[in-house]
Amino acid sequence: MDVKKLTTDVVVVGGGGAACRAAIEVSEKGLDCIMLDKGRPGRSGATPCALWSIQAPFGAQGRDERDSPDQFFEDMVKAGRFIGDQNITEVVAYTAVERILDMEKYGVNFQKYDDGRFFQTPMPGQTYPRSCFMIENGQHMSTVLAKEASRRDNIKIFKDFFVFGILKNGDTVVGVVGMDMIKGEMVAVNAKSTIVAAGGYTSLWGFSDNPPTLTGDLLSGAYRAGADIVDLEFNQYYGTDVIWPPSVKGTVVLYELMIDEFADGEITDKDGKPIIDKPLPIRDEAIKTIFNVIREGRGTPHGGVYFDTTKSPKGEKGVREVFDGMTQKHYRFLIDAAGIDLAKTPLEVAPASHYQCGGLYVNERGQSSVDGLYGCGEFAGNFQGANRLAGSALCDTQTTGARVGASAADDAGQRGMTAIDGRDLKEKTDMALGFLEKKSGSIRPINVKQEILKTMDEYIAPYRDEKGLNKGLSILAGLRDEMKKVSVPDIGIYNLELREAIEANLMLDAAELTFGSALFRKESRGHHNRTDYPDTDDKQWRCHTIATLDGEKPAYSKRDVIYTRLKPQDAS
Amino acid sequence: MASIKAKIYRFNPGKDDKPYFDDYEVSTDRPLTIHELLTVIHKDHDGTLAYRQFKCYKGMCTTCMVKLDGKVVKGCATRVEPGSAIKLEPAAGGEVVRDLVVDFKAM
Repeated sequence: MDVKKLTTDVVVVGGGGAACRAAIEVSEKGLDCIMLDKGRPGRSGATPCALWSIQAPFGAQGRDERDSPDQFFEDMVKAGRFIGDQNITEVVAYTAVERILDMEKYGVNFQKYDDGRFFQTPMPGQTYPRSCFMIENGQHMSTVLAKEASRRDNIKIFKDFFVFGILKNGDTVVGVVGMDMIKGEMVAVNAKSTIVAAGGYTSLWGFSDNPPTLTGDLLSGAYRAGADIVDLEFNQYYGTDVIWPPSVKGTVVLYELMIDEFADGEITDKDGKPIIDKPLPIRDEAIKTIFNVIREGRGTPHGGVYFDTTKSPKGEKGVREVFDGMTQKHYRFLIDAAGIDLAKTPLEVAPASHYQCGGLYVNERGQSSVDGLYGCGEFAGNFQGANRLAGSALCDTQTTGARVGASAADDAGQRGMTAIDGRDLKEKTDMALGFLEKKSGSIRPINVKQEILKTMDEYIAPYRDEKGLNKGLSILAGLRDEMKKVSVPDIGIYNLELREAIEANLMLDAAELTFGSALFRKESRGHHNRTDYPDTDDKQWRCHTIATLDGEKPAYSKRDVIYTRLKPQDAS
Repeated sequence: MASIKAKIYRFNPGKDDKPYFDDYEVSTDRPLTIHELLTVIHKDHDGTLAYRQFKCYKGMCTTCMVKLDGKVVKGCATRVEPGSAIKLEPAAGGEVVRDLVVDFKAM
């Protein structure tokens, strides 16, 4: 098959908050940019799924004048359990306000007080209320950013474009290769700088609140390109995602809205006994509690806990006002898709895979350990640490997105173009096209994919142990063999099964690295909980877990955390 | 067990002269949204049917739009009862890429 070739200064993989913001910054610098979205720009990835909350320390221009970038920085560092790299945390904390103002300029609407200050809601882990309220939530934010990117002449956007490989020539990343699903063509993009803003890989788990398209394709690509990967064991679950019925499985219902200020409801076990005290704990604590209740056999019929507003002192009408006011779309979606009014009925919820704290190891400019390769947003891995605060993910997309877009553009302006290595390109397209070959005793890719999802759900749950992790690794090794039997029909245009086959292949890398990282870290911290090592061991493990390709297999090692403003010994 | 019978529009511009319909029958005792129905068809019946798998979990992204019995609806938020017979066609708003996948013009 012929591979179409495109050339540009900076290629951005992704189409969500971080990708669009990075592309906009490249455009601002006057360079050419190609953005490759796996789906429809503004309507793919995790950003559209987000709710209203995006953190920025507005202080006197917001809800609480005592708040500041210093406080935001400190809150993030402590939530991350002191293993987030502070050179990058600084970028987030100290540029968040400017980036929110940019968003407003592009057309995102924020709730404000009559005097023009930004309204901000309290969320667990924030010393002062810091979550700005996007009136139309993450979906609106996504479409506004996508429209801003698309109106610029020097950004060319490809939709339904599935990137499945990062291209290298010698020691330099020179671009990416992928499948244009609409045309059914293989396309290689040669660029001076390659920014990956492809999000996390929550859909490696069967139960996730992110779209099924987030399968870690680029994590595999970066790993295979020799880049250092970091802290993959810190998998954030969201504690209260709907688990029944299937049509709404994965829809977020905010436990943060159960506080007295909002719905004043309870999270309960199967018998209606409340299981979480107020004030509500931050996410990793809440998740552990919920997970344990389910594990101990006190869960609901479909394996969850109850999100119960029915006994709230606010009454049905008062509760309805809260959900219809704060999360209207979700509230109404549950009614339309499942016939459930959560102001009237307890809802079955459970922890679902929500966000990846780890990912590509980068510096404050977004540069990975491989020349020419950059990462930002959820794809970048070493600044959230062991746990991330509510409202920080969206904030990261804009802060790191803009900073990394600028850095990648500056570097592209300084370097010449390195050509694509034909052999590397052929190796990657051969992998993809190999699934079109007819094989006797062939299997469908969905069979392998479902086994990966099941293995992740079972052995990389909020709690893990050595036995389970080793079992998971051996299952994955067996699945790699199974992949050799996968064969799909050659449909040409929008071949979902071909994409699925390639995805399954790449997912095995992301899964293996996650299991390996969880096995490597022998302690519990934030979102990584080992039942066989239940304590936090600052002496041995207040550090990063690094995974790198060593020959054909991953090698794991420790790396020091970068402390700038707040060293652990100085923290109160 | 009851079932949902679905007549679904098929068209591959690269290979077919004109569109046609395929018949699917999915066993179920509870209502399914159209998005869920298509997910079950992909998993258990026919991996060649093209549809948009993306979901936003809150009925906002419009990527799941589909024509149900002649009327354009959100696939994720529209329930079909067991015992129904339905017809699914691509939504309006852009060129048909293949089957139910539309290259929506709107951003």
